[in-house]
Amino acid sequence: MSTIFGHIWRSSTGKFGLILAVAIIGSAVFAPWLTGDPNRIDVLNRFAGPSWQHWMGTDHLGRDLFSRILHGARIAMEVAAAVTAIALSLGTVLGVAAGYGPRQVERPILILFDILYSFPNLIFALALVAILGPGLENVVIIVAMTVMPHFGRIARAQVLRLKHAPFLEAERVLGASTARIVFRHVIPNIAGPLIVVAGMEVPAVITIEAGLSFLGLGARPPLASWGTLLHDGYTYLSQSAWPVFFAGMMLTTATLAFTLFGEALRDAIDPRLRTDP
Amino acid sequence: MALKFDRRQVLRGAAAGAAGAALWPIDAFSRDRLVIRLDRDLQNLDPAYRIGPLEANILRGVTRRLVKFKPGVVEFENDAAASIKQVDDKLIEFTLKEGMRFQGGFGELTADDVKFSFERFNQPGPGGKKSTYAKDWDALDGVEVTGKYSGRLVLKRPAPALWMIAIGDGSGCIVSRKAFDALGEKTAVQLHGAGPYALAEWVPNQRILLRADPNYVGPKPYFQEVVLRPILEGKTAQLAFRSGEIDFTSLEPTEAAEMARDPSAAIIKKDSINYVWIGINVEKKPYDDIRVRQAIQKAIDVDQVILGAYDGTVARARSLMAPGLLGHWADAPVIKRDLPGAKKLLADAGLPNGFKAKITVLNRPTFQAAAQIAQANLAEIGVDLAIEVLDTGTYYSSGKGDVGKNLELSLQRFGGKLDPGFQTQWFTGEQVGEWNWQRWRNDEFDRLDRIGQSTVDTKAREAAYIRMQQLMADSVAYIWLTHEVNVFAGKTWLRPSILPNGDDWQYEHFLEA
Repeated sequence: MSTIFGHIWRSSTGKFGLILAVAIIGSAVFAPWLTGDPNRIDVLNRFAGPSWQHWMGTDHLGRDLFSRILHGARIAMEVAAAVTAIALSLGTVLGVAAGYGPRQVERPILILFDILYSFPNLIFALALVAILGPGLENVVIIVAMTVMPHFGRIARAQVLRLKHAPFLEAERVLGASTARIVFRHVIPNIAGPLIVVAGMEVPAVITIEAGLSFLGLGARPPLASWGTLLHDGYTYLSQSAWPVFFAGMMLTTATLAFTLFGEALRDAIDPRLRTDP
Repeated sequence: MALKFDRRQVLRGAAAGAAGAALWPIDAFSRDRLVIRLDRDLQNLDPAYRIGPLEANILRGVTRRLVKFKPGVVEFENDAAASIKQVDDKLIEFTLKEGMRFQGGFGELTADDVKFSFERFNQPGPGGKKSTYAKDWDALDGVEVTGKYSGRLVLKRPAPALWMIAIGDGSGCIVSRKAFDALGEKTAVQLHGAGPYALAEWVPNQRILLRADPNYVGPKPYFQEVVLRPILEGKTAQLAFRSGEIDFTSLEPTEAAEMARDPSAAIIKKDSINYVWIGINVEKKPYDDIRVRQAIQKAIDVDQVILGAYDGTVARARSLMAPGLLGHWADAPVIKRDLPGAKKLLADAGLPNGFKAKITVLNRPTFQAAAQIAQANLAEIGVDLAIEVLDTGTYYSSGKGDVGKNLELSLQRFGGKLDPGFQTQWFTGEQVGEWNWQRWRNDEFDRLDRIGQSTVDTKAREAAYIRMQQLMADSVAYIWLTHEVNVFAGKTWLRPSILPNGDDWQYEHFLEA
């Protein structure tokens, strides 16, 4: 672990991404203690610019933007964590089943992955929202479904690579059960690449959640998602540009941070996955 | 002799042409086309089943009525009628102009078409459903055709509002019996009138094209074509206006200041008689307990809604009728915010810890902001209010039929007309499942509504309408927010024609300034 951390820290972009990611996660975790009530309305103080009292100004209902931005980070991180956990678990199970199981199991799983993969992420998410309805819980399920095939394919490819490895053959000869082989040997050996993919998916998840919330299909009022902050800010852009500026800045920063961190993590864990020359 | 051009000559010519076109002042083109933004798409162009003012505006442009409003004022002038006379409280005689022809080859407009157009309001329509606007013609006993061009409206009772809300307005639009027989239910989307404009095209969600009817007998409209473009989003409409894509649009009151900065825009503000309120479904638990409704009423800070959602640009409403209307209740109480009182009422109702609630709103920024303020207000008494934002079609069906039984709170806005009877009719018992989304029934209210519709004694009508508003206040099913302000942006070269209620536009009287 210390080697991985050291590798990330030695990379300037990795270090930058890690610091930003930690800062964002920290602000998300400690948001309730760092700020006041993000939903407290103060209509006499609408569209206020940044000041000592309101570091990022206020929105169209006089709510403190700094507080809402930090609580927005909380939502982004919660969604990212939940989506990644669900997609990683489900994708791994299906990928391992496809890779290790018989062809009758592999085919339908691959067809499912192909179907899910054939839609652009946001379009697919919009279609699912139409079925399941808006709301943050549904957004978690929907986004998990859209990114799950990515994990599944990586898991299957890794299992196929390992399937006939000598140490697994030895286990089989010694009479180990399939469950033991999968849980004791296969999954630990494919975990590295999957963790890398998980890290790389976080910015995508944050963006999709913000996109759905911007369209009014994600976080419901009064929850302060960065997407809803952008939407409200856009509606009242002529009165104040601060909400759009700060929400956009945070969304960009978070995406950049987790992308840089994910790439550094990839380089540290599995340099073979690098795509750059 | 054959003309020959080389490549350079063609390029030079094209460049010169493009430069000429770019430098030609836009105002130098004669304008015969007007583009107007609608804030929703049309739904039904059958006068009896129209949804609201947007449809009625088109109906007034495409069809004729016996009488119509003069441009921009509430005074009548003859339209299809050559003469019309109120003989007594229960009889109106008319004679039609000759030679008025329906578009689409459906023949001449006759007294039989008048009979068909008016009587069908009180007959079952598609699916056995009566017209939503049946009440406009409730007083009509029948239309007697006395000649090809003459007839009599025989009333069951005196009807003081008949001219204002029926004969001269959307419910008075004369349609062709032949067209309805030939087209059946298609008449919802295919309108053939005898008015100044013909409906040339309706592409749902994209555009409606009205083209001046060359066969129209009467003063020709200034603009040969009126294009109506449904643009739901206010911000998008502003951008479309700035880019010259549209020439006229209604605005949210909060958008006026920004639009006023556009030098090509002339901002028009008119007092409004519309009404916006938060309604509470009195049949749904726990709102069937009046203490819960009172708690909600005491918790919601209407002044904060006016300031936050409307930017303080509108006045607070205290009751249904706007100031200036017959029946305006000048002494209506102003409900003050009272959080301890609200909490006590909830505790008395057995809900000391509050409850989960839902408010349904149309997807307009102002309404969403109002709902968010109500949400924050109600959170202070433990009511966890979820906001359901719906688009036009879904929203307008959310309170109807059995679906409406599940509605909880709803933020509603209705357009008003200058006779108070038009405003009260939506809150009667028979409108439950239609437009009475609060599902509040009161026999006295219904009786007074009938009195208001049938007495010609202005004092008695005024008293009836004030009493009706008192009954509404007692029900605590209505939290009145505002009567709004009607705000429009038109190009500086345009002189729009808007009736005093603000919602009713007369396309045929739009002019170039």
